[in-house]
Amino acid sequence: HLDQAWWDGISDPISYSPYSSDPLLLQFHLQQTAILNSPVGPKTTHFWGPVSNLGFFIAGVADMKKPPEMLSGNMTGVLCVYSALFMRFAWMVRPRNHMLLASHALNESVQLYQLSRWAKGKGYLQPKEDKAPSST
Amino acid sequence: MATSKLQALWNHPAGPKTIHFWAPTFKWGISIANIADFAKPPEKLSYPQQFAVTATGIIWSRYSMVITPKNWNLFSVNVAMAGTGLYQLSRKIRHDYFNEEETAAAIKE
Repeated sequence: HLDQAWWDGISDPISYSPYSSDPLLLQFHLQQTAILNSPVGPKTTHFWGPVSNLGFFIAGVADMKKPPEMLSGNMTGVLCVYSALFMRFAWMVRPRNHMLLASHALNESVQLYQLSRWAKGKGYLQPKEDKAPSST
Repeated sequence: MATSKLQALWNHPAGPKTIHFWAPTFKWGISIANIADFAKPPEKLSYPQQFAVTATGIIWSRYSMVITPKNWNLFSVNVAMAGTGLYQLSRKIRHDYFNEEETAAAIKE
């Protein structure tokens, strides 16, 4: 268990710490492994990469007010596939990046919603009209 | 000799059998969509979106060099993203802030 890294899901850092018997070393170890000093924390690019991807999510949320005619089907579709691929990438890259996974999951949901709005605006999602004449 | 080099590429840890290859390869789509948007009039460009593209490109260029495996494909695509984003931002800023004199002069006439 000593070879397991914190991002692989250790829930109790004190009991798993190799320094449980030495209070000073334990304190040092806890400081080094705290979030601010984490190997994927705010002092590293592993943190700011996912934060920058939240920019796409925020732009998507801001665009929810826009009328569907102003949406770009190309860009929205591309961003949907892009976020799906990068969710897998975030899982497989080392160090594993849960923040990246979360930011792309958020972006995926908002982009899929925008894609559905765009498609409805273009008339791609109409139900078939062969049974009864619709009054649209 | 050529086949062994091709095999080395095929079996590379960031090669075509892995997500480390396809995710960045698809990310080129964003830059290509942005290049297609060079033809759009600057009024239709979105500051938040282009700023997100530029910032993402710059930060990820650094990120791709510190992950395992080191990913030159991801590096190049993010450099391109930052480049297209910066160009779009410069187009929109030039239109918004440096054409005012022309439109003001036209209004006065």
